[in-house]
Formats: sequence, C-alpha cells, structure tokens
Amino acid sequence: MPAVFPSEAWLEGLREKLNTDGRYNEIAKNWEGDLFFVVEPAGTFQETLTFHIGLWHGRCTGVVWNASAADHPNPAFVLSGGYDNITAILSGRLNPMTAMLTNKLRVKGSLGYMMRNVPTVLDFVRCCQEVTASIA
Amino acid sequence: MQPILKIDLSSQGHETLEVPDAWRRDFLGGASLAGRFLYSVLSRDLDPLSEEAPLLFLTGPLSGTAGPTTGRLVVCGKGPATGLWAESNIGGYWAPELRQAGYDGVWITGGAERPLYLWLNGGRVEFLPAEHLWGSDTYEAQDLLRQELGSGMESVVIGPAGEKRVVFASIASGQGRFAGRAGLGAVMGAKNLKAIAVRGEGTIPVHDPAAYARLRSEANRTLRQDNEARVLGAVGTAGVANYSEYLGALPAKYFHQGVFSQIDQVSGSTMAETILVGRSACHACVIACGRVVRLEDGQRRKGPEHETICSFGPNLLIDDLAEITRLGELCDRYGMDTISAGGTIGLALHLFESGSITTEDTGGRELRWGDASAVGELLSLTARREGFGDLLAQGSRRLGRAFGAEEEAVQVNGLEVAYHDPRGVSGMALVYATSPRGACHNQSDYFFVDWGHTEASLGIEYFARHAQAEKAANVARHQDWRTVYNSLVMCLFANVPTEMQLRLINAACGLDWTLADMLTSGERGWNLKRAINNRLGLTRANDRLPKALLAPFKEGGSADFEPDLAGMLYGYYLARGWDLDTGKPLLETLLRLGLADVASDLWASPEQTP
Repeated sequence: MPAVFPSEAWLEGLREKLNTDGRYNEIAKNWEGDLFFVVEPAGTFQETLTFHIGLWHGRCTGVVWNASAADHPNPAFVLSGGYDNITAILSGRLNPMTAMLTNKLRVKGSLGYMMRNVPTVLDFVRCCQEVTASIA
Repeated sequence: MQPILKIDLSSQGHETLEVPDAWRRDFLGGASLAGRFLYSVLSRDLDPLSEEAPLLFLTGPLSGTAGPTTGRLVVCGKGPATGLWAESNIGGYWAPELRQAGYDGVWITGGAERPLYLWLNGGRVEFLPAEHLWGSDTYEAQDLLRQELGSGMESVVIGPAGEKRVVFASIASGQGRFAGRAGLGAVMGAKNLKAIAVRGEGTIPVHDPAAYARLRSEANRTLRQDNEARVLGAVGTAGVANYSEYLGALPAKYFHQGVFSQIDQVSGSTMAETILVGRSACHACVIACGRVVRLEDGQRRKGPEHETICSFGPNLLIDDLAEITRLGELCDRYGMDTISAGGTIGLALHLFESGSITTEDTGGRELRWGDASAVGELLSLTARREGFGDLLAQGSRRLGRAFGAEEEAVQVNGLEVAYHDPRGVSGMALVYATSPRGACHNQSDYFFVDWGHTEASLGIEYFARHAQAEKAANVARHQDWRTVYNSLVMCLFANVPTEMQLRLINAACGLDWTLADMLTSGERGWNLKRAINNRLGLTRANDRLPKALLAPFKEGGSADFEPDLAGMLYGYYLARGWDLDTGKPLLETLLRLGLADVASDLWASPEQTP
C-alpha cells in the first residue's frame, strides 16, 4: 500500500488505507466532507499538483489525481500548501498542527467544523503519513 | 511620547508625569513600564485596598493606533487576593480615547471620601460625584455616563462587586470587555472610584507615521489571512473547546475530571451554529473574536468566551450554553472575573460534596453540580457579600482556609487557575507556577505551543505536550515574548509575524531593534516583575501548583500523566538565571538586563549575594 509521494499510486494507497484502517474508520465516523488539495510549487518542485479525496462517515468514497477545481466546485475544504511543507508533514518532519497554526497550510472551509473535528483531521494525516513510502 | 496623568483622589489634585526616555526604551510601555514605576512604590506592608495603594492604567506605544489589535491597555497595582504584583489588560475603546486626550496613562493614588468618577475631557480633569452611579452594574453605569457626558466618550467602570471589594472584582470597558483577573476592580472600589470617563480628539503620536501606516496596513492584511485569527473570528475563543477536551486539557468538575462528554453542547462551534447572531471587535481589530448571541428573550447580548464557558460549564458540570451565557452576563454586570468566580464556586461545590461545607454554612442551600440556578444565586450573594457570599467574595484560597482545606483550592498564590490544564498541556505547569500575578494563562498562552504553535524566528520550538523539564527554557522564552505583547499592549491573538511586529515597534518608537533586542525587553520586564514580587515576599516556595493539578486524571486524553514540576522548575531556574535557593533573579541576570538598581536592592548585603 505505501507508495512514493507524489504519485497516483500514493493516492490510491491512501484510499485503500482510509477504508481499511479501523482507527480512522472509528474516529471519522461522523465526518462528512470532501477535501481538495492544492500542492504549490516550492524549491525544485515547480508544478502545481491537485487531488481530491471524498470522505464520508469514516470511509473514502473516491479519489481523483490531477483533479480539476471545475469538477469539484464546492469541496468542504480546500487545503493548500507549498510542496516543501506538504512533504514535511507527510514525512513527519512538520507537525500538522504547527503547519496550521503557522500558516504553512492554508484552509478554506468551515473552520467551526474543522475545530470540532481536529482529532479526525489529525488521524487522516496519520493515514497519509503511513502510506508515504518516500518523497520523490 | 505623552505624559502620564497622576491623580490624587484624596486632595482631588492632579499633575502630569513625564516618562524617562530610558524607561520607554527599556520597557516600551504597558505592564513592564508600570512595573518600573511601581517597583519602589509597592511594599510588603502596603494594603492593596488602602488609600495609599497605587492603581496604574497604562497604554503602550501602539495603543490607539490603527495597528493590529492595539486598542488595549493594562491596569496594574497590588493584588488584593495575592498580595503580589497584579496586572490585567482590557480591550475595547478606552485606550485610544485616553491617548487622544493626550495621556499615555493614568496613575491613581489616594482615596475619595465619597464615591466619585473622573472625567478627562481632553486636557481637562474633573472630579464628579458618583453617588447616583454607586450600586449600578457595569452596563448601567456606562449607559448613565453616556447620558450624562454625551456620546463620543469611553469609560472604564466597576460594578457592585468592585464597590464591595470582592477580591476578584473586574473593571469593565464597553459591553463585554473586562480587566477580569487579579481583582483590581476592588482596588478601584476601595478608593471610591466608580469610573474614569475620557474623551480625546488629538492625534496619537508615532515616531515615523508614514512607515507605521504602511506597516500596520500590511500587518492587518496578514492577520486577516491568519488561520488562528480566522478560527477566532468564526467560532470565537471557545472554538478550541472540543480539541482541548479531547486532549484532556480542559478540566471538568473542579479539576477532578479529565473528560466532559457534553463538550460539544457548549463549544464555540455549537454557539456559532445556534445562538450566535453577530461578532464584536475591539478598536483596530480585524479578528472580532467577541460573540453576540440571542437567547429566548430575543435580546442581543454578549456571548461567553472560552474561559467563561469552561468556568461555568465543564468546571461546574453545566451543559447548557444559554445558562452559561446568563451566568457570564451576571458576572459581567456585577463586575466579577468569571474564571475566579467559577473557580471559587467550584471549590465550594467540591467541599460541599466532601462534607467539609454543609447547609449550616451555606444558609441552608444545597450546593450541587450542574445547578445553574444555584450558581446564579451564589454569584449574586458574592457580589453583595451577603451570607455565604461573603466567604466566596474572598476567593478560593481564603474560602478553603476557612474550612481547613486550603490545599483543595485550585489556585496559585491566591489567583484561581484558568482552564488550560497542565496535565493536558504540560507547559502550563510552569506558566501557572511562575506567573507574576498568580495562576494566569495570559502571561504565556503556552498551551498553543504545546499544540504546535511554534515561533521559529524567536527559537520557540515544539516539544511534545507531555514533555517535562526539557521544555523549561522554551517556556521562559515564550513568557518573554508575551511580556512584550503585554508591554505594547497588544492582544495575544494578534498572530502577526514577529518580524512585522518588530518593524511596527521600531517605526512607532524610533528604535532600531533586532528580534533579540525585542525578546530581551520582554525578559527584562519578566525579571522586573519577579523582583517586585520578591520584594513583596515571594520566594521559591511560591512557585507551586495546587494538589489537584499534580494528581493524574483517571480518564481522558491525559489520563495518568503527572507534571514533574520540581524537575521543570529546576530547568526553568537555570534557563532564567535565578537563584535555586531563594528564587530571586541572580545578580548577574539583573545586571545583564540593565536593572542595576534592582540588583543592588535585591542583593543589598554581602550575605544575600549567592
């Protein structure tokens, strides 16, 4: 299941992980809302990368690599950050709360919902980290 | 800059006091500058509720400008509950008005024979009778003053609790902003001073107006985009409630329970989805963390902030947001700090449950967890100092002492602990134990660092939330930084980049500081307040935590964790450069910080020198 980030295989591995990880399934059982990620150029990585993850009641309902914003016009959350910061989170070098609180990760969506569900968000990050075999 | 207006209530005289340039440079303003003024004035035998006790209202160099969250001022003196240094800052619109009137602060001395209020109308100072205001609550008093003096003025007022010298009486400004902590409302009440009203029309001076204007505009734009500020705007300070409870950092049942399963019913997120109808902001604030809510009666009113929700909610096992809102408003109107009020009532409930307090003590009242109506009644009794309320009005330390259970009171040096439990966020153990005004979360909101809010430019790093002595130096550094905020006087929620904060200071004050200089200024202020407290009798033995915080929770996100306070303090003293035996800043520490006179005073005789 673990794969190199960024890759479509990584996102597919994440989908599988989210659907089979008992801890995530339990902690996210009330979560309702999809995520649209924007990974921005930083350092030697000079592309903009997007992917979409459907999440509903502890399950992943689908993933789209190179997702188009037009195809997902109203995601529950849009999370954006530089490639350096996103990969630092995935490799465990950057605490996701630190990323949020120091604006290395930007969030668009219902902040009330996010604050009510911080444990779910952090466990989602754990799953992301556990499917990251390495960084390209 | 501008002078300080010194008022003698006894003679009804006044004079202006220029601030020495060196003091402005070394301490900036606010609480640190107040400390510099009061260092030699506060003494061990000074009764904080006597006429002689000073009360200083000070702004900072950014106050009243259009800089980010710069509408604040700080009130300083000697704490009636602690007998130590007291400071409490307050938002709203009074500070800008004062600076526009031509003063950077007001220093109150003496006491009036009869209730009065001060009217600072531009450069004119009037002492006006306040018998007709005496007894009015904080909101009524401000309305009456507005009727009397016209619009375009701002006032700071006390309520009945301040008049009755409740040791946790607050000072109000506007409908919903309070200098809540440290009981300085009682100091005002003891002086028969009901209010200070001010109107100003002048320009607030900054050293380089053009540079400052560019910077403050940039800072406000940045702050609008800040995640933390956006959360505070959207769901208020109580937006953190769910996560804090999940971590086991939000104490329930008077610090004896690590979970509160109804937390979502009282959280900021739920408030935003149910009773919230608006937001309120202090001067020059783009965050607007203030809540405006509507309950069944249809009236718009202030919604509770995080500490009030915790104090009357989980702390007393009340899970009804409307009831908590009403209890918060009751405290606000009486002019009482919600943290200390809830903490003191929490102790009463705890001691009633254990049988130490009985109905014979309470005038026949049963004290039960979750009974909002009874809590409301206790608040009224406290503010009026009637019956059992007279004991509550003395705070939890004296309440505990009255029933032979002082060790059960969750307070440090007489100030009730705020609701960020060190068993969930261990850095708060050091913050509470070493805060100059007693257990306080505003001298350092280190719980945010324990969540992950680092500040790399200042060397403030992330340590696990249950790390122990290894984070001691980090806590000290964070305290220093927050001391700068309390000098400015800037809201802790102004999460602007530190480099931007530095440039604002330099432009406003004509300085050429580095970040290290800025942090040293904070360290100087922290050590000065420590030295004041040493003079007032504080020793290493005062750096403690109450028993309840050293007993692990049995349940929740921090179950079984116990802060190693002794180990943390050891690391902290070393990091601070404080004497391990006496708890005083070492001679070389004080000299390094340019506090030679304080060094001579604290280490006057050879046998005192370590």
